[in-house]
Amino acid sequence: MKRLPVFCSILTTLIILGRTENPYAEIIEGGPGINRSIREAIRIAAPGDTVRVGKGVYSEGNIQIQKKIHLVGIDMPVLDGNGRSEIFTITADSVTIEGFVFTNTGFSYIVDMAGIRIEQGKYCRIRNCRFNDTYFGIYLKSARHCTVEGNIIRGKPQNEVNSGNGIHMYDCDDILVKDNEVTGHRDGIYLEFTKNSTISGNNSYQNLRYGLHFMFSDHDEYIGNTFRRNGTGVAVMFSKNIIMKGNNFADNWGPAAYGLLFKEISDGELIDNKFHRNTVGILADGALRIRIRYNNFSENGWAMNIFGNSMNNEISNNNFIGNTFDLTTNSGRNNNLFLHNYWDQYTGYDLDRDGFGDVPHRPVKLFSYVLGKVSASIILLRSFFAGVIDFAEKVSPMITPVDLTDQSPGIQKNYYAGNQGS
Amino acid sequence: MIRPVYYYSLLLITIACKPSPEPIRYGSDKCDYCTMTIMDNRFGGEAVTDKGKVYKFDAMECMIMFSDSWPDSMDNIAYLLTNSIDKPGQLTDARNCVYLRSPNMPSPMGMNINPFADSLIALDQQARNTGEILKFGELKGLIYAP
Repeated sequence: MKRLPVFCSILTTLIILGRTENPYAEIIEGGPGINRSIREAIRIAAPGDTVRVGKGVYSEGNIQIQKKIHLVGIDMPVLDGNGRSEIFTITADSVTIEGFVFTNTGFSYIVDMAGIRIEQGKYCRIRNCRFNDTYFGIYLKSARHCTVEGNIIRGKPQNEVNSGNGIHMYDCDDILVKDNEVTGHRDGIYLEFTKNSTISGNNSYQNLRYGLHFMFSDHDEYIGNTFRRNGTGVAVMFSKNIIMKGNNFADNWGPAAYGLLFKEISDGELIDNKFHRNTVGILADGALRIRIRYNNFSENGWAMNIFGNSMNNEISNNNFIGNTFDLTTNSGRNNNLFLHNYWDQYTGYDLDRDGFGDVPHRPVKLFSYVLGKVSASIILLRSFFAGVIDFAEKVSPMITPVDLTDQSPGIQKNYYAGNQGS
Repeated sequence: MIRPVYYYSLLLITIACKPSPEPIRYGSDKCDYCTMTIMDNRFGGEAVTDKGKVYKFDAMECMIMFSDSWPDSMDNIAYLLTNSIDKPGQLTDARNCVYLRSPNMPSPMGMNINPFADSLIALDQQARNTGEILKFGELKGLIYAP
């Protein structure tokens, strides 16, 4: 008990020190108790001030933030758009928004309304907010060096048309999207013309179209995210140099659902990801020079479907375990390298004990090829007939690409240990 | 006795062969050019050939680019339809629409092409958002511009 005054004085000193760090900043309170609206509090705040907003429900329509302020919600105040308007529109640099609940934005065919929109802002941060039933959650347009962290974005779309994207980036540069939870939107996280950005540790699930979607976006990376039960886990389209590491793609299940969809992309890396229970693990349509290494494919319908227009990809050191089909293609030729993968359907042997099979493995089954042509033939899956044609094709390949082989398949599962082999 | 059967079957054949547009199922139909799921009922498009084959697109950009590798020539197209900003969810003749290309109005495939069924509404939006108004025939030159 004697220590309490000491503790208090230290605390006070700390608070004072904290204040001197930014000596001109004032704390301005807003809220029902103070009888001052958020708009009024922002109006009287000077650049650099902190505006603290107390608990309550605020329906102030669209609030424009045009100066550098730190906006903090105490006990998660609710900002209601009443189904009519966008809530925060930020057009300044270094704005921080923290601890608010955004709900019920308007919907319009002309303007994409969002919980928070940043237009041309730099160094803005949006942290620990919640978005319930917003058309777009966070909309960044021409923003630079911003951070979106720890938000929970949940949509309840009545139909597909009335849903925007959870986190939407258009013409941005250097954005960090970290540890957010996004569900119930068209695309969970969407990047268009967005460069040098990092998407990490997010959980994007049950979105209508894609968990994460790249369009015309180069030099981005996504690391350690989980994509579960989306229309398709991730779609990377018309983009270059995307790094994909340590993500989980799971339960993307349906007639046209994929874990990961490549469309016209080049020079990426796909390393150490897990594909579990997807209808198609990876669909590659026009993928060039992608390095696909140390990924786990388990219990998928098709682990990989590589179209003939995908070339010079390297598929090495991956594990294919318990998939109905490991690999299928629509082409008679092979333009990709398959090496040192572990295939649980491999029936060869390793007499020289170097860890790799002595007989090449041919991962494409004839039946998967037939299925690609006539989808109704799925009824013959696991039948005697399918077994016979697969065996005949294995003995003397006629239809499946002759040169599509893994020349030295792994005998044991591959494990990723850091940056080896890159 | 043979005659009515003959006429009837002839009638059936003519009905069966008549090409007709199909509604787009937003959220499940895929674009025939870029494989993206069609979600936005302001930008979807559809082409129906003389033989009744239906191609669907998520945006005008894809329709134009697909027409470059069209299985038949463009003359064999019975319908060329698009959604529009002012009539979302309705398919109208793409050749009669006008297209506002504005940097402030993004479209799904990145070229900012916004179809409008009513040119007056397009002019109004042009006044608010800037940009240029194009006719259908001008789109191809735009997309293939270097």
